[in-house]
Amino acid sequence: MDTQWPRYEVFQQEAPDKPVLHNGSVHAPDIEMALLNARDVFARRPEASQMWVAAAERITSRTRQELAAGEPAPSAAGEPQTYCIFGKLAEQAQASLLGEVQAASGAAAIAAAQTEFETQNVLRWCAVPLAALLKSDPAEAGPMFAPAREKTYKDQAEYPVVTMMRKLRAGKGLDE
Amino acid sequence: MYGADIEQIAIELNEEPEKLAEFEARIARGEKIEPGDWMPAEYRRQLIRMISQHAHSEVVGMLPEGAWITRAPSLRRKLILIAKVQDEAGHGQYLYHAAETLGATREEMLDALLSGKAKYSSIFNYHTTTWADNGAIGWLVDGAAILNQTMLARCSYGPYSRAMVRICMEENFHRKQGQEMIIRYSQGTPTQRAMVQDAITRWWWPTLMMFGPHDADSPNSGLLIRWGIKTRTNDQLRQEFVNQLAPDLQACGITIPDPDLRYDEASGNWLFGAIDWDEFWRVIKGDGPANAERMAARQQAHDDGRWVREALSAYAKKQLH
Repeated sequence: MDTQWPRYEVFQQEAPDKPVLHNGSVHAPDIEMALLNARDVFARRPEASQMWVAAAERITSRTRQELAAGEPAPSAAGEPQTYCIFGKLAEQAQASLLGEVQAASGAAAIAAAQTEFETQNVLRWCAVPLAALLKSDPAEAGPMFAPAREKTYKDQAEYPVVTMMRKLRAGKGLDE
Repeated sequence: MYGADIEQIAIELNEEPEKLAEFEARIARGEKIEPGDWMPAEYRRQLIRMISQHAHSEVVGMLPEGAWITRAPSLRRKLILIAKVQDEAGHGQYLYHAAETLGATREEMLDALLSGKAKYSSIFNYHTTTWADNGAIGWLVDGAAILNQTMLARCSYGPYSRAMVRICMEENFHRKQGQEMIIRYSQGTPTQRAMVQDAITRWWWPTLMMFGPHDADSPNSGLLIRWGIKTRTNDQLRQEFVNQLAPDLQACGITIPDPDLRYDEASGNWLFGAIDWDEFWRVIKGDGPANAERMAARQQAHDDGRWVREALSAYAKKQLH
């Protein structure tokens, strides 16, 4: 009865002035459920202002090595559309949004992005059709992301254990 | 065997030596292995085993503390405990998703857990008998988990390492709320002090067992270290844990239930007594104090949620066709 639902990749922006980062994946029966699952899984902490999801099968990805090894020139067939280009800039880093390009396919979008964003040392490129993305509604940012912000007791900084231990070691009471 | 040369290992694992060499070179360069990349079948198998076990531990780990939500002594403690148990559910989700990027399905992982085929951390097969146990779990058990998870946050598999970065951040809240609770009770009334001492006495040894068997009895370690999944051994992590906890617990006036525990000037380590490995293996193999109870609770949760999965599947079918 349980079947494996399609995989959706999750992108998240912590604050309006922060980059949009690839965050992980969720499985869901459809894209609306994917966005809700992503919110439940990835936004239990006050660090989201926007969340995007896209079906993994709509995303094209190439490593620097794959591109260096060469591949047949992407076919120009198909209607040009807007692709969001993500790039992983360091091994430890999450892929971040570099910008948008117009192209007829994911592979063509990555080819175009290499010229467009050539200043970046990108280890892995991802092209996501803008039309494949479901973005959280800014009007709903309050109910989606604000509750986590008010729950300050989830923040480790609320627990001054280092200071408390220092007092005990000095033979003092906790309230001194 | 796994310090051996690559040709030997390729034969052993039935992999092409060139591919294996390139894979190991990537790890040596500090590159992260990502879901679509080539990887040895054994790397994939070991990761699925580890990540799913880890996911199961988070999910089963909700049970010992979840039982105390209705009995928390204050509204603040209740909010904290609800948030913590919710985090454990979320960690289970991060990890199941990471295992799914390797081709494991949720269904087969849950089947393996419920049928008893898959393991989960031995620590969750002990009962929480007083409120102070929630503090002991936070400080000791989550503190131990953080040491292991900080190592795994640097592991060679991208999705696992990124899940761990998030988990470690949240686990620090778990550890500190537990430590704060234990510190306060240790300076509290005689009843509170006795309750805290009793909790630490019962959780100390099971927490040391959490790091797993001694290195000499840990068959998977060699390959896991070679491939950058683990970077430190069970015994190294266990020693670091004792070094951190022993002086702090003593500063709280708590007695650690180990007559052999002492500080060794020469090595800078806190030396500790022999671990009861018979108990460890008994609990791992299903015969701990609460194994049957934990699995019954999981099975019931799974059965009770069946109608939700059925409804979502029916809706998905309608959407997809």
